[in-house]
Amino acid sequence: MLKDLFFRLRSVFRRETVESEMEEELRFHSERQLEKYRNTGMSREEAQRRVRMDFGGLEQVKEECRDARGVSLLETLAQDLRYGWRTLLKSPGFAAAALFTLALGIGANTAIFSVVYGVLLQPLPFRDAARLVLLHETTPKVGDVSVSYPNFQDWRAQSHSFSEMAAVSNVAFNMTGTSQPENIGGLAVSPNFLSMAGVRPVIGRGFTPDEEKAGTAPVLLLSYALWQSHFGGDRRVIGQTIRLDSRTVTIVGVLPRDFRWVETCDVIEPMGVWATNNGTVAERGDRGDLTVVGRLAAGVRMEQARAEMDGIAARLARAYPQANDQCGVKLQPLRETFSGDARPAMAVLLAAAIFVLLVACANVANLFLMRGAVRAKEMALRIAIGASGGRIVRQILTESFLVALLGGLAGLGLAMAGIPAIARLIPADTLAGASIGMNGAVLLFSASLVVLSVLMFGLAPALHAARGNVHADLKEGGKTTSGGGRNRWRGLLATSEIALALILLVGAGLMMKSLYRLLAVDSGFRPERVLKMEMSLRTAQYDKDPVVIGFWQQALDRVRALPGVESAAVGTAIPLTDDHSRTDITMEGTALSKPSDYPHPDTHIVSPGYEKTLGIRLLRGRGFTDADRENAPRVALVNAIVAQRLFPGADPVGKRFSFGRNRAPQWLTIVGVLADTKMYGLANPARLEVYVPFRQMAASEMVLLVKSGIEPAALVSAIRAVVVSIDKEQPIFGIATMQEVVNASVSTRRLTLILLALFSGLALVLASIGIYGVISYSVAQRAREIGIRMALGAQRGDVLRLVLAQGGKISVAGIAIGSAASAGLTWLMAKLLYSVSAVDPATFAAVAFVLAVIAMVASYIPARRALRVDPLVALRNE
Amino acid sequence: MKERIELPQGTLDLLILRTLALEPQHGWGISERVQQMSSDVLRIQQGSLYPALHRLERRGWIKAHWGTSDNNRRAKYYELTKAGRLQLATERASWQKLTAAVAQVLDPA
Repeated sequence: MLKDLFFRLRSVFRRETVESEMEEELRFHSERQLEKYRNTGMSREEAQRRVRMDFGGLEQVKEECRDARGVSLLETLAQDLRYGWRTLLKSPGFAAAALFTLALGIGANTAIFSVVYGVLLQPLPFRDAARLVLLHETTPKVGDVSVSYPNFQDWRAQSHSFSEMAAVSNVAFNMTGTSQPENIGGLAVSPNFLSMAGVRPVIGRGFTPDEEKAGTAPVLLLSYALWQSHFGGDRRVIGQTIRLDSRTVTIVGVLPRDFRWVETCDVIEPMGVWATNNGTVAERGDRGDLTVVGRLAAGVRMEQARAEMDGIAARLARAYPQANDQCGVKLQPLRETFSGDARPAMAVLLAAAIFVLLVACANVANLFLMRGAVRAKEMALRIAIGASGGRIVRQILTESFLVALLGGLAGLGLAMAGIPAIARLIPADTLAGASIGMNGAVLLFSASLVVLSVLMFGLAPALHAARGNVHADLKEGGKTTSGGGRNRWRGLLATSEIALALILLVGAGLMMKSLYRLLAVDSGFRPERVLKMEMSLRTAQYDKDPVVIGFWQQALDRVRALPGVESAAVGTAIPLTDDHSRTDITMEGTALSKPSDYPHPDTHIVSPGYEKTLGIRLLRGRGFTDADRENAPRVALVNAIVAQRLFPGADPVGKRFSFGRNRAPQWLTIVGVLADTKMYGLANPARLEVYVPFRQMAASEMVLLVKSGIEPAALVSAIRAVVVSIDKEQPIFGIATMQEVVNASVSTRRLTLILLALFSGLALVLASIGIYGVISYSVAQRAREIGIRMALGAQRGDVLRLVLAQGGKISVAGIAIGSAASAGLTWLMAKLLYSVSAVDPATFAAVAFVLAVIAMVASYIPARRALRVDPLVALRNE
Repeated sequence: MKERIELPQGTLDLLILRTLALEPQHGWGISERVQQMSSDVLRIQQGSLYPALHRLERRGWIKAHWGTSDNNRRAKYYELTKAGRLQLATERASWQKLTAAVAQVLDPA
């Protein structure tokens, strides 16, 4: 092996020596042969002729010797690269067109892949992350729900499929003592979470097993980002304290820089500290915001773990029918829970980018074929003087590779410029802390695209050149007769470009129609000039309900008095954000036996003016008033769905229900019915919802909604001042206009649409260039035929029809194939569509029409050139 | 002149190795020798001889050095290497097996 390499290398690096030795060896042979023939009495000329005949082509023998020495791979590569580089420089127009086209194709793919990699593929920063599984509970009524802590403890005790399990709960705090009060997010975890995930604090310690139980001293780990932004990365931070919800907590460590979680994570506290502050932990029926992460034991497969957990859940449901009725367990690879719902959009975008690359490759293949026609003579000459077919294929492939490589580099540049712009468009919850950018995996992907492109656009032209007809191509007039096969190829490529462009356009069209329909949906509320800001009353003083209610009332009174404010309200929920608390209710006069039979509506706590501020229509009865206070009769509003489902055919106003399941009912009287609002996203149907007045059920976490006569953002600082005047340590967060909330709720669809539109536009341009190229080339080739036709009396219209028919054939075939392929492919994006069928006939028809028109224009321009053919000139050229 | 036979695929290497087993020889000499030894039946095409020599050299079965020919000119001589001798033995054995088998099929005893 090594010796072989050595031999090859000598052939390459001592090229001159080896070449001259070969020359000398062959000369020696001919001379001896010549002598031999002379000795038999032949004339000198006759002997020389015989020697030449014996030898066949001298150059060919040499070439075969070089091949035999294994020179080919390395030496010819260098030679071909030099040669290819020179030929590219000689035809800068061709080179620029090919490079630019490929740069666009590879650039688009690289940019999209960097996003796909960052969001979906990049391994999570945990040890052996592929074996980490996220578990949560499910109920038939709601779907996925959080896990109750006692259930988690039973899972951990009873399961054998997992080597370890840890509870992870989302938590939030008001952090004070820094420059401005802030609301931060974090996690409360079982102490073994960090070691199970292989997360080692950069400084300080992790958690100890004792820190699992309530009553443990308050400690936490800082995220790297918070450490940097609030403590300047000071290593002496260990042992310092911060104020969270007016409690003093000691910093014991700092998380690694790359640590991330599905939700924002500024701090991590041990489960024991969380349990100390959350009395409801011990209740099996209480499902807060807790999920479970487990590490699959060695050799255990996901399905086995799933089967075991199903069994455990069924046992727990039987043992605790009140809390666990019909509760199941759902297991999911942890990786999927990070931006898992972005998967369909990402898949569609990656597929679209690959289609763009295919179109680009078809275009470049066309360029190569066109140039192949020009170079047919050069190739024929090379074959005639001894180059083998393989050698020609290699040389053209090397040139293709050079073009692809340069195009790939340019594409990389384009991608680097485009990635930040795309990354900015990705919603933060989709990103889940992932960083989008260039890295080894992305580079590897781009490199393989370069190789793939070479195969896609280089192989056909190369094989074609090698098959070239030496005799025809060497003849003076050969150029005009040898293009048959090439033209077929070119027609085929243009057809596939049209087909691909159609697929992309259909995708973009469907997406556009979906987004249009989605934004036209009756959301049930009016977002115009409404500002939202969130507050969470978390400090000790708000332990008592009257204080909480007093804060909201005071804030409302003062905000309503601000100039420019039309109305203001607070509520626990706002439309389009799926963040709700749900409880079973009991309807007066109904007796239900099974816990799972009780209605399970979302409960929104709102102030008077809520429906007015958000522009939600009141369908019956009245809204809340200031009279609906603590000691007044308890009242509620319901939405239209509740009225339809729970009071079919009856007027719900005046009917009564209570929260919970029948234990000591505290009846609430329904006083009004509100129109359904899109609380969970524009595409999601409304659910059962009940509203209760904020003075009759205190909520410490609320959204303040302000409708103004002026630009709402102008009010932010005035409202802030109001809040500070009531409690100077109260942070405000989540400030946005409702219009921004609406936009954010469709941001993934919007991003998908923008990129799809961009890609299909690119494909359209490339495809029209493709068809233009084919037609104009064929017009040039058929100049003589056209000349004869015109000389024989063909009219302009006849000639135009002749040329346009060719373009028409290509576009009709392309559109037919593309439509069929689209119909087969668009179901892939069904998840992204809204109230549009994946084979929406209107979209298909519109796209086909647009494409047909553009294809016609692209063929008409070169067709007009055919009309200018002068029969005399065309015929004389022959 | 006797009728000549086209060399079957793969026999060229065997013939070259066999010829070089006698003594180191240059390309022309090899083709002459084969022609002679086969009583003029086998004639090696120059077009295939030299690529074959270079291929065998690369495999390490023969090695080349420059010497002086009988008519006092510089010529490239090839000789068998140790590996080449082994290869010759192997190829000869399998050739004999092949021809014996073919003969047996053609004229069953």
